[in-house]
Amino acid sequence: MLTYDVVVVGAGGAGMMAALSASENKNLNVACLSKIFPTRSHTGAAQGGINAAMGNRDNTDSPERHFKDTVKGSDFLADQDAVEFFTKRMPEIIQELDYYGVPFSRDENGKVAQRPFGGASSPRTCYSADKTGHVILHSVYEQCLKNNVTFLDEWFLLSLVVEEDECHGLVAMDIKSGEIHGIKAKSIVIASGGFGRIYWNRTTNAFNMTGDGTAACFEAGIPVKDPEFVQFHPTGLASTGILLSEACRGEGGYLLNKDGERFMKKYAPDKMELAPRDLVSRSIEMEIKAGRGFGEGLEAYVLMDLRHLGEEKIMERLPQVRELALDFEGTDLMKEPVPIRPSCHYMMGGIHVINPETLETPVKGIHAAGECACVSLHGANRLGGNSVADVVLFGKYAGIGARKTAEQRSFSGDTLLTEKATEWHDKFHTMRQKEAGKSLVEIRNTMAGTMWDNVGIFRKKDEMVHALETIEQLIEDYKETFIGDAAIRYNMAFVNYVEIGNLLTLAKAVAMGAIAREESRGSHSREDFPERRDDEFLKHTLIYKEGDDYRLDHCPVSITSYTPEERVY
Amino acid sequence: MDKFIFHIQRFDGEKKWLQRYELPYEPGKTVLWALTTIKDDLDPTLNFTSACRHAICGSCGIKVNGHSFLSCKTSLDELVARFKTTALTFEPMGNFDVVRDLVIDWKPKMEKMKKVNPWLSPASHGSKSDGFIQSKEEADAIAKPTDCILCGACASECNQLDVNDGSYLDPFIFNKAYRFLVDSRDNAPDARLKPVVENGLWKCLHCNECVTQCPKGIPLTDQIAYLRQRSMENGERNNQGARHAYAFHDDVRSKGRLNEMMLPVKTDGVVKTVTKKIPFAYRMIAKGKINPFHFPKKIDGIEGVRKIYSENEKERV
Repeated sequence: MLTYDVVVVGAGGAGMMAALSASENKNLNVACLSKIFPTRSHTGAAQGGINAAMGNRDNTDSPERHFKDTVKGSDFLADQDAVEFFTKRMPEIIQELDYYGVPFSRDENGKVAQRPFGGASSPRTCYSADKTGHVILHSVYEQCLKNNVTFLDEWFLLSLVVEEDECHGLVAMDIKSGEIHGIKAKSIVIASGGFGRIYWNRTTNAFNMTGDGTAACFEAGIPVKDPEFVQFHPTGLASTGILLSEACRGEGGYLLNKDGERFMKKYAPDKMELAPRDLVSRSIEMEIKAGRGFGEGLEAYVLMDLRHLGEEKIMERLPQVRELALDFEGTDLMKEPVPIRPSCHYMMGGIHVINPETLETPVKGIHAAGECACVSLHGANRLGGNSVADVVLFGKYAGIGARKTAEQRSFSGDTLLTEKATEWHDKFHTMRQKEAGKSLVEIRNTMAGTMWDNVGIFRKKDEMVHALETIEQLIEDYKETFIGDAAIRYNMAFVNYVEIGNLLTLAKAVAMGAIAREESRGSHSREDFPERRDDEFLKHTLIYKEGDDYRLDHCPVSITSYTPEERVY
Repeated sequence: MDKFIFHIQRFDGEKKWLQRYELPYEPGKTVLWALTTIKDDLDPTLNFTSACRHAICGSCGIKVNGHSFLSCKTSLDELVARFKTTALTFEPMGNFDVVRDLVIDWKPKMEKMKKVNPWLSPASHGSKSDGFIQSKEEADAIAKPTDCILCGACASECNQLDVNDGSYLDPFIFNKAYRFLVDSRDNAPDARLKPVVENGLWKCLHCNECVTQCPKGIPLTDQIAYLRQRSMENGERNNQGARHAYAFHDDVRSKGRLNEMMLPVKTDGVVKTVTKKIPFAYRMIAKGKINPFHFPKKIDGIEGVRKIYSENEKERV
């Protein structure tokens, strides 16, 4: 049986930072498993930057202010002990990344350049033009190669094997050969990314953002925390939902309605376009609802205008953004405004992490970091530039945590792992043989449609209940589906089948959490409960999966420095 | 035009075949749209890789009618206009092992990339706790090479890789070596230069196909030229490529023109020339391609040529 001291699942920013720091103990055998080749991971799609109070551009900035901005941005749902831990350590991790070779853009003093971002009281977003995530991903991958981390490329997580809150290892498929293996591990870091694909095409997310690690943890008894908080990025390209970086607004872009008005003055008179994402997304949708957008229905949009920045600034700071608008919307933003509309972007919720310094979960041996996890750093709304920061910082500490766990635990026996692997092997065999059934594509598209229409930017009870019922029906239909490919080698139809199962499992949790939270907070905006209600809902949602049943519970928010107050920008 | 016709190369690990699919024409669609629509609506057994769908993850490169493209950012309308047909052939990228259908294997490429030590070897003016100071100009030098998304289009197009025994480095690996060589934070030029010289630096055919198809516009052949210069400055002169370059350099400097008869001797040495090149030279002479009795004299105005050399050398110092 394959055996590693530490297995990291996912090879994005969080996973590879975890693998890198776990591999600092040369006596440990560390493997990093990913369903795609590492540099394909979605960290690479992050464009605008990474927040750290370096004070390079504004020497009055401080980790304390970053702390406060993040808590306010979270609509006071973030755990303040976690935020403080994070903001304090961010400046040193930027230096570390610099030392790993990340090609940051520089200021006139040769220091890492910084730019303004939404919801931040100071220009503290460090960047590399508009390819920040891409260069961090590649640099961290290079460091992992240097440290001789074992990469299991194109291996797909199927299950975590847990008994009585103790983790024994995992079951995964080597996609290239089609073989299914039990893998024994003393500790595991789940860093498998978000699950924005519950909205399928109405998202900035890559095709493979299907929450496999989150779903596996959920099945293994770890609750999902705050799943109802889904971030919609204000500036998705109108026709495809592809992301245009927040750096567009950071560098001074305007948002215009069809009357040519900078409508943000009505919603955030002070911060204007640099208000946080939840507020800007809602403002755009309100303009469209009021008939001040262009086009109608799903085709409606507003404009983002960058022309006044000038060609030189656009080419220096936003070259990739310009190319994206050209290639995917046919618009040259140096010459005309670009049509945009909010698109599902990020999951604030995820695997319940119980200690922000070790990234432990309630199951012994399992740690989690990155978008799949909920620390909770972002609370009800994440600030732009805090996600790449989240992955590198908490990825690093998850790696250290997993290293310590591995040093303390011993390997378990083979029995359970072999049993579970056999179960998956049989399932694979059955699915390969099955020749007819309900259409998987139809199930997927129905799920995305109902989630977008009923559990989207604006929410109300009866619509969400309808969505929940639809998802429950789809979960039944899913049992009757088929994959249509009998091959063993590289059977993506089977992988996609498991992914859609994971999405359904998580979509149901999103809908349940959203129905139960009868207030508006951050990204969760209830038309039937427009106010934030701290008396009843200043708490985290926890959803447990027990067999086929979901159980709702709560846990308190850590409040150390900032008592909740009204959130205005 | 009412439909697209696609001939897609299939491979199941043993046999290879071309399979025909048709989709109704829709304007403004991409190659990736075609692939996902075929998989969703027509054939779930078709395999390809893709992720971000906006040209940053590098997963979705394939060959269309013999040329490599990122399928997410390549418009079908443009391909139809370029190839003047609505029937397009999709194949996996060249110079990679194929796993299934259009899926290729990256693992061996990364093993090869390790030869150039593809990680920063930090210079002593930086530290893990304080990072580095790097000027804007120094940062500009690494801006373009770090645009590389490892999509493999350059390798797929490479004519040297096509005929090579497998040791030749893929263009994206030369880019990686270059990227660290020109980084002001790196202090290990030898760790890049020695392996590139040993692995075919002088074998680049200058066909420029890699540059033409790079979706990020990285000037790969300029980088290879730079690596050659730097390797010679670094003392890597006792190899066929460097000797060949010096033969040109020295001849033109002394006479203003090339001595073709002496070129193989200077490049390969006397022994190799006599044993390997003589029959070839005979054939060249027989066809009137070279004249063994031609000893080039100095050209008129040789002083001017030498002045160009010395001015250039001054500048480089």
